[in-house]
This record gives sequence, structure tokens and C-alpha cells, in this order.
Amino acid sequence: MFEMNRRTFLKVSAGATAAAAAAPSVLRAMENELGGKDIGPVTMAERQAIPLTCHVCNIQDGAIAFVEDGRIVKLEGNPEHVSTRGRLCAKGNAGMWYTYNPDRVLYPLKRVGARGEGKWKRISWDEALAEVAEKVNAAHKQDPNTIMMKYGRDRTGGAIGRFITTLGSATVVNHTSVCESSKKIGMQPTWGPDIETPDFENTKYILNFGSNIMEAAYFHNPYAQRITEGVAENHAKLVTFDTRLSNTAGRSDEWIPVLPGTDGAVALAIGHVILREDLQDTDFIDTWCNVSTAELKKHYKQFTPEWASKLSGVPVETIERIAREFAQTKPATTYTYRGPAKHLYGSYNEKATMMLSIMTGNVEKRGGYCLPRGMGYNQPEPMPPKPAKASYLASHPDYPLAEHKVSHMTPFWIAEGKQKINVYFTYMDNPVYTNPGAQAVWGKLFRDEKLIPYYVSISTVIGEETALADIILPDCMYLERWEPESMPNSLWPWLGIRQPVIKPLGETRETRIILRDLIHKIDPNGSKGMKKYWNFKDGEDYMRQQFDTIPKLKEAGGLDFLKKHGCWPIYGKLNPRTGKISDNTGREIQAEFGLHMKELSAADMAGATVDGHGTIRKNGNAIGVRRNGRNFVGFGTHDRLINIRVEEWAKYGFNPMPTFKQIPWHKELKDDELILGTHKFNVHVQSRTASVKWLAEIAHSNPVWLNTETAAKIGVKTGDLVRVESAVGHLVTKAYVTEGIHPKSCTIATGCGHWEYGRLSTLNLKNGPEFGGTDDADLNNVWWEDKGVHPNVIIPAVVDPIGGSQGWFDTVVKVTKAGPDDKYGDAEGDWEKHHAAAKQTMRYAYTGDLHRKMHPEMASWGGAGSVKED
Amino acid sequence: MTTAVLEGVINAEAELSDGELVAECKARANIYRILSGAFLEEPTAEYLQAIRSPEVMASLRGLGAAFGPDFTDAPIGQLQEELAQEYAVLFVVTGGCPAVESIRLYGRFQQQSFFEVRKIYQQAGFKVSGGRFMVFDDQLGAELMYVAAMLDRAAVALAGGNRSDYVETIKSIKRFWALHLGKWVRGYASLLGRATEYSFYREIAKLLGSFAEWELGLLGVRVDDVDGGKLKVPLAEIEYESDSNEPVCNACEKGQPGKGKSAADQLAIDISLIEERLQRKK
Repeated sequence: MFEMNRRTFLKVSAGATAAAAAAPSVLRAMENELGGKDIGPVTMAERQAIPLTCHVCNIQDGAIAFVEDGRIVKLEGNPEHVSTRGRLCAKGNAGMWYTYNPDRVLYPLKRVGARGEGKWKRISWDEALAEVAEKVNAAHKQDPNTIMMKYGRDRTGGAIGRFITTLGSATVVNHTSVCESSKKIGMQPTWGPDIETPDFENTKYILNFGSNIMEAAYFHNPYAQRITEGVAENHAKLVTFDTRLSNTAGRSDEWIPVLPGTDGAVALAIGHVILREDLQDTDFIDTWCNVSTAELKKHYKQFTPEWASKLSGVPVETIERIAREFAQTKPATTYTYRGPAKHLYGSYNEKATMMLSIMTGNVEKRGGYCLPRGMGYNQPEPMPPKPAKASYLASHPDYPLAEHKVSHMTPFWIAEGKQKINVYFTYMDNPVYTNPGAQAVWGKLFRDEKLIPYYVSISTVIGEETALADIILPDCMYLERWEPESMPNSLWPWLGIRQPVIKPLGETRETRIILRDLIHKIDPNGSKGMKKYWNFKDGEDYMRQQFDTIPKLKEAGGLDFLKKHGCWPIYGKLNPRTGKISDNTGREIQAEFGLHMKELSAADMAGATVDGHGTIRKNGNAIGVRRNGRNFVGFGTHDRLINIRVEEWAKYGFNPMPTFKQIPWHKELKDDELILGTHKFNVHVQSRTASVKWLAEIAHSNPVWLNTETAAKIGVKTGDLVRVESAVGHLVTKAYVTEGIHPKSCTIATGCGHWEYGRLSTLNLKNGPEFGGTDDADLNNVWWEDKGVHPNVIIPAVVDPIGGSQGWFDTVVKVTKAGPDDKYGDAEGDWEKHHAAAKQTMRYAYTGDLHRKMHPEMASWGGAGSVKED
Repeated sequence: MTTAVLEGVINAEAELSDGELVAECKARANIYRILSGAFLEEPTAEYLQAIRSPEVMASLRGLGAAFGPDFTDAPIGQLQEELAQEYAVLFVVTGGCPAVESIRLYGRFQQQSFFEVRKIYQQAGFKVSGGRFMVFDDQLGAELMYVAAMLDRAAVALAGGNRSDYVETIKSIKRFWALHLGKWVRGYASLLGRATEYSFYREIAKLLGSFAEWELGLLGVRVDDVDGGKLKVPLAEIEYESDSNEPVCNACEKGQPGKGKSAADQLAIDISLIEERLQRKK
């Protein structure tokens, strides 16, 4: 007879845990079993499941759309996707409301009133394309570069670039300067790629500078999963330097608040301690870098913790402790996003932070700081040739290192007559809302028909920018179109697709179809030599040309494989029970590490030469680097080494070595001055999601965050109206008083405060009626009355003279109690003041008068003239 | 014409001969088509000329329509242009009020009603195609045109002595009103009449509302209009939790206990702009 009482039971139970865990199990959570399938609760029938790549934001999660009776009823993660592993964020889950949005534009529209007046006429596609073709033809005769394309989020797989190049124009500008360009430029010349892919899952220490990676930064879904695994299962320590207590900072082992713009100084000081205490990986530095350990030690002597502490407010002992922890914990990795990079000299900050992973030898190690793994796809042939002439706006001579362009300065340069524009195309872009100066700057540009004589918007909705267009060509939503995808958002490369889940609503057309039809209208008989580059039947045909010839994928079924699975991982497949990549036998496949150490074959080496630095060259290209008698592929730089010293920077009078420049106007902050930042909600992208009801309900207002101490000085508490005033404008919003922000900083979330973009974004009824009928519970639940305030109108343009980035976090403001004339939601800026700020920031360009003053260490530089002669 | 007057007409003509019923079906189909033409797409010059013909104007006046000089006196070309712009503002551009059942009842395009009406059309041997622009199956113009076609069919059946087909066809029209048109067009008509700045759409909206009432009475269909065409969105009486320390929502007055507006203020979202437009018209 067993003796069963609570005490013996507990003992038995504790002792039996291991055996119980080893026993076979047949009961699993339904959500795992049902991944990729869904049942209609009313019909009890399995819903049609169509895999695709999400495109609410740019993380590119694997998704599945469930369709019932022709209607998209649900979205969830694709359990076959190697990066996102069946998880889809809130934005992705809400994605179908983009498609069914009652404010969508479903037909071509032609402006009939003044720009921005809101008067439109519906026209046929034939009429629309004929009108645009006529304008393009006239512009083309004058100068192809007067035809401009500016895009926000181009995931067409090359169609946008093909279009503008077909027209012979080089005036194509992206949105990257308001996004992450100085992060890219901080990294590219140093190690080749413009982004890192840390192995968070296997790391032991994560040093995070200015990234809210758990919820909003680039690749937040796949990275948040792996950071969670790293922290929870691998006991990694997560340390976050940020001005704001973001949810990532809140989930970190340590949040260390820094004064905005000083992360770079902190990183350099951490490097100083590592090198001073000989904690660096000497072998790695001396083998793979173009600067020796000895040189590096000498260079870093100047960056003392005391110096950095004074600048950043981070205590000396904290800097020293973190330095020791980071260097002595293996493996470890750094990570950054906009925090360090979105400043004047953001490129220096990015470089300073990545140096920590380099000097500790954590590069391309399991658990370390890895190169991105992406996959390419083909472009349909033939391709149009490159344009004959460069474009001022697309390759500005004052910013030669800003490879990702300086698009946020476009209005000023057009207004100054630097480049004539006749026809302006825009695609998935909304700078009137998303750029510095917002309506005060971009609104003025688009309203002026002398500056922009003809403006074509390819858009899905009438947002702040499209409201000012002359003609709107209605684009498909992402659930209605074909697009190729590949993102380095994990260590397992993959190719994926977006495919139409339903037929496009109304008369909307896929972007590449719009562009093809336009080219066919411009060059109907092919006599202009343009039509031949647009030879495809439809979106699917274009994609077949991109995917059906890729080795291995071709054997797996090419595009047909992707239509069925959504994603093609080149290694094995995802095991939904473990979340690991497995081969056909179920055995886990580890990610590859040490990509730079892949050895060149004898065939590769045939005809190659090796120079004094070990760089292996063939046919004029650097193909590898010789180390210890072995021939490795090395890194993607000009000499296949990690370039701690970037010679090209020196050419333009910038410091080629890791360095830091304090924002000049932050040096003498007055007592009543704060540095304004912006941050992103986890449920919103910059401008496109305020019209999505599920997301708008979660986040719709954006008070200014103020530190408790700061708020006490001003005499405000949470909910009080405050006036936030910069040199270029002011806004009135509410205060949110918290300990979770640096006392000399304040921040306002983006994504709110729309004045266009549909009835839900603007929370007014414009010229239309209420939201809809009374049957819709979602609509009945529109309970909020606050749409928030948009901060960009009071943020002036700042350009990192190296990377071209907008300095989003450099604006000095005064926050005061709102006055009697201040009204919640006021947001005003002044074109003249913004223009003056733009001129001021150009003084920091290598051609500007402040450049040399900011770089006394580059006294031997020959000046801008020497570069031009060169 | 008011609803009361129309009801009088129904009562007076409750008992009609087959010949009279055939004529009535045809007359009703014509009204459906006139209304359909106003919603399917921007009015063409031919359509406007036809409406402005003395005979049609007299008929419409007889029904109570009172078009203003902006419709009756403007040159056709100008009128067509102005109405095309008004059509875009009302039915096409962001922030308008598309005449689409899915939007009115579900707040988004291509929802349940779209698929339901498509199935009904298919069962009756129709599909939506043609026209200058693509039209949703549950667009008001398409729904009205379907009923017009069914009335034609009923008239043919009756004229051919096929009474059972006639009865079945009328039943399917009744079902269509009960399941679709009856649920939204009266409220929508009321809203449209107030939202437009042109007498053409205002009178068409009035005609639509009155005609809907009349048809429902004639068909003996009792169905609540769930669109309502209300300017103000009723807020659900929901309880929600708020955390004053929550940065996402704490800026909302309503998110803070005891700081909310009055109960009356909480009943609606800001509609000042449309109210302004309506005031301006007065």
C-alpha cells in the first residue's frame, strides 16, 4: 500500500521531475499543432491558408493569410519561416484592415481644385496614364533628370529603380536619410555590409546602444525572440544605454541613461578601458584589421572614462565595470539602432560602438557580432543602362560619403534652384508627415507649382503628401501584390515572396504593372528603346523570371515552391517544436560562423596576386586576404580587412579613426533647455498605421515624456498641457511625467497627430460621414478622442556630414506650461526658420566653413579644394 | 414626396390588374434605374440630359423632387464636370462615404454583404461587369440595378401569364430588400442628403429615401435600417481600464479616472468639420 499524503507526495513529485520530463508526450498545445491552419468558428471548415511575407513594416515577417468565402479573416505567423518562426507582431495581425480600409483610393484621381484643396475627379487608367506620359515625355525632352522618383519603402524587387533608369533619369531618392543611413555608413567602410546580425540566441552579453529592439527597432520580431532565448535560456546579460526607459531598457538587466548624442563617447571610453587593461583580442585585431593593437591602444588613450562621463552623465565606475564585463564575457555582442546614429556625426557614433565587438574579437563568432546573411534573386533581362548624367539631388556633391543620399534636404535644394524638377513621382512615401519640418517644409514644396510643376503619387490612400498631388495612381495593398523578399533578419538566409491573397480591390494595380503600363504608354511602339525592359505579362511572370533560375530553389520548384511555402530557407527547414533549423532527419543545423574565414579555392587563386598587406586581387578586384599562409575571403571592404582606419574619410577631412564629436549646440545647454527626441510605438510604423483600427485603439496619443525632476522645475504634472518650442516652431501637447527619461531630455512618439490619411487617423469626419454602420463592433468601440500631436514640424533638418542622416535627436527645445492662447494639438513651423537651419547644417559638410573647426586633429588635410582636384 | 403621401399611394393602388401590375413593375424598374445611374458612376452628359428632359423632370417633380438651379440651369458640360467632382468627394476619395453596403454595415470594403449579393446575382444569372469603372457588387448602383432587372423579369413573367415565376421573382426582391437594401439605404439616403453640396445628389438622396420607404411598404417588408446615417457615432457603453502611469493612453482625458468629459460629450467623436459644412449650407 502506498502512503499518499501531501508531504510524501511533494517529495515524490520533486524527485520524479526528470523522469516525468523524459516520458513520451502526446498532448501538445493546440496553437502549435494548428500553426499554419485555421478553422472557421461558424462554418467549422478549414480556411484557405496562403503564405506570404508581411509588409506592414520592414521586418518582413513570414505570415499566413486565412481566407474564408473570399475574405481575408485572419493573419498569423508562418510556422515555416526560419527567421520569424510563426510569430507575427500586432501590426502584422492587423494587416488586413489596410486592404479593406474604407479610406482606400481605388481609382485614378485627378486634382481639379488648388493643390491640397481636396477636390478630385475620378478618371480612367487610360486617361491617367496618357496624361502622365505626356508630362514625362515633355520632361524627358528637356532633361531626363528633371523626372524625379522619391520612394519610401520600395520592396518591389527592383521595379522602381528599373522604371526611373528606363527613363534615363538618375534622380531617384530614397527615404534612408531619415531612417538609418548613418548607421549604414558607420559600418560599411569598416567591414563591408551596412548592418549586423548578432547571434543573440547564443550570446552571453548584449551591449545595446539606443535600440528598442524588443519592440520597435529593425528586425524586432526575430531579434526579440532570440534575445529572449539568449537571456532566458542562455543567461545572457542585457545592458541598454538609452535616454529613455523603453520596453527594451525596462527588460534589460541594466538601463543606463545617457545624455542624447553621447553614446559614441561612452563606447569609446569602454574601448579605452578594454585596451588599457589589455582585455582586447589582440590576435583578432592584428590578423583581421588594418590597424594594429598597438596603434589602437595609442589612439584610444584620449577617450578616458572621466572624459566620457562628463559628456554623457554615465558614472566613471559604470563605464569601467561595463567594459570589463563586456570584454571578459564570451561570447558577447553589441547592437545599435537609431540612438547613436541619428545625430550630427552619427556615423562616428556607430563606428565607435561596433569597435567594441571588433576589439574583443567577437566578430563572426557563435554568440557574437555577425555579418548579415541574405540571399539575392535575379532581375529580368534585359536591364536598362545606367543614366548618362548624375543628379544633384541623388548624389549631392557636398556629401560624397553619404551613399544612401540626403533626401530630407530635397525641398531646400529644389527651392534654391540646385536642380530643376518637372515631374515628381512618389511611391509609398509621405515626407510631408515623416520628414523634419513636415508640413512647414515639404507642404510648402508640394504646394508650389513652380517648384514641382507636376506631381504624381502612386499611393493606396490620401495621406499628407498625396493630398497635395496632381494625380493619384492607386497602388495595391501588400496582400494583393507580388513581390520578392529576402532580409538578413536571422543567421539562416531565406528567400520569400508576397503573393496576392485576394484580387486587388477596385481598380488598383500592382506597382510594377502601373510602371509597365506607363512605360508602354510613353514608348508604345518601342522606338524610344524603353519598352523592351518591361516585357512581362503580370506580377507573377516577373517573379518567375526572378526566382525560377536560382540554383537549388529551381530544383525545389522555383516560384511554385514559394507560392506553397512562402519562404525558402537554403538550409533544411524549421522544426516547429523546437524553433531550430533541422535537416530531413530532424537533426539541428547550426548556423555557419566565421564567414570571413572561408578559404579561396585553387581556381579562385588562379591568376590572383597578393599585395604587401595580404590583399588578394584578381581582375582588378580584391577577392580575399592572405593570413598565416592561408587565403581567406575576408571582409567586404576594398582590401578585405576590417578597416578601423577608413582612408576615404580622411580624404574629405574627417577623422578616419574611431572618434566622437559633441553636438556643438549641446555644449552649453541652459537650465530650461532640453534635447528633444522621438520614439516609436510597437504598434505603429512612422506614418501608415494610424488608420488601422486595432492599432489606433492601442496607441493614439503621444504626450511628451518629461523627467520628474524636470517637470517639477517647470511646474507640470502628467496630463498638463505644455508648450514645446524649438528654434523653428512650437507645438502644444500633454506632459507625461516619469523617472524613465534622462532629466535633460524629452521625447514624443511618432505615428500620431495626422491631419490627412483617413477618418480614423485624423479622428474627424472631414467632408464625409461617420465611420460606418452600427453592426460593426469594432467601429462602435472607437472610444478615443485624442489623435495626438505630430512633432516633426518643430524638428529642423540636421545632416550628418559623413553618413547623411537626419539628426532626429539633436533638437534643443524649451518646455513650458501652456499659455492661455495655446491649444492642444497646435503644431506650427516656419519655412524661413527651417531653411535657415538647413543652411546652418550645411556648414558642417566637408565643403562648409565649420568642418575644419570641428576637426582640429585633421590639420594636415588639404581642404575641400584638394579633393576636387583629386 | 413624404413617406405618408407614398403610403397613401400604396393603399390606393393595393388591388391592381395584371396589366396594371406589369406597368407598375416597369415604372418601378425605371425609378430603380434612374437611382442606380446616379450612384454607379459619375453622371454622363446623356444621363443628365435625360434627367433634365421635360418629361422626366415633370415625373420627378411629381414624386416631390425639387432640383435647384445649380442642376436645372447649368450648362450640361459644366454640370457634368461639377457633379463628377462632387461624386469623387462623396464616394471615391479618402474621407468620403462610399455607397457600398460593406462599408456602411461593416466599416470596410468587400465584407460579408459583398459575397452575399454576388451569390444572389449569380443565382439569378447575373454578374457585375462593364461600366466605366470597376464597381463592387454591393455598391448601391449595382444593388438597385439588380432589383430593376428582377422587376423587368417579373413584368415579363406576368405579361406571359407565368404567375408563379412572377411571384417567385417578387419574393426574391423582397428577400433582397430584407437582407440588403432595407438594412442601409434609408439611413444612407438621409446622410447623403445632408452631406452633399449639390441639389442633384440632395434630391436623388431624398428620392432614394422616400422610394425605399415606399418599396418596403409595397413589398410588405419590415426591416430596421441599421445604417442610420447618423452624423454622430454612438460610443459603445464599454468599460475600459486605464493606468495613469501608462504612457500610451494617459494623454486621453478619458483614460484618467475622474478627468473625463461630461457624459454628453462622451457620446460622440469630433464631428465639427462636417457640422461646419452643414451649417454653412444652411
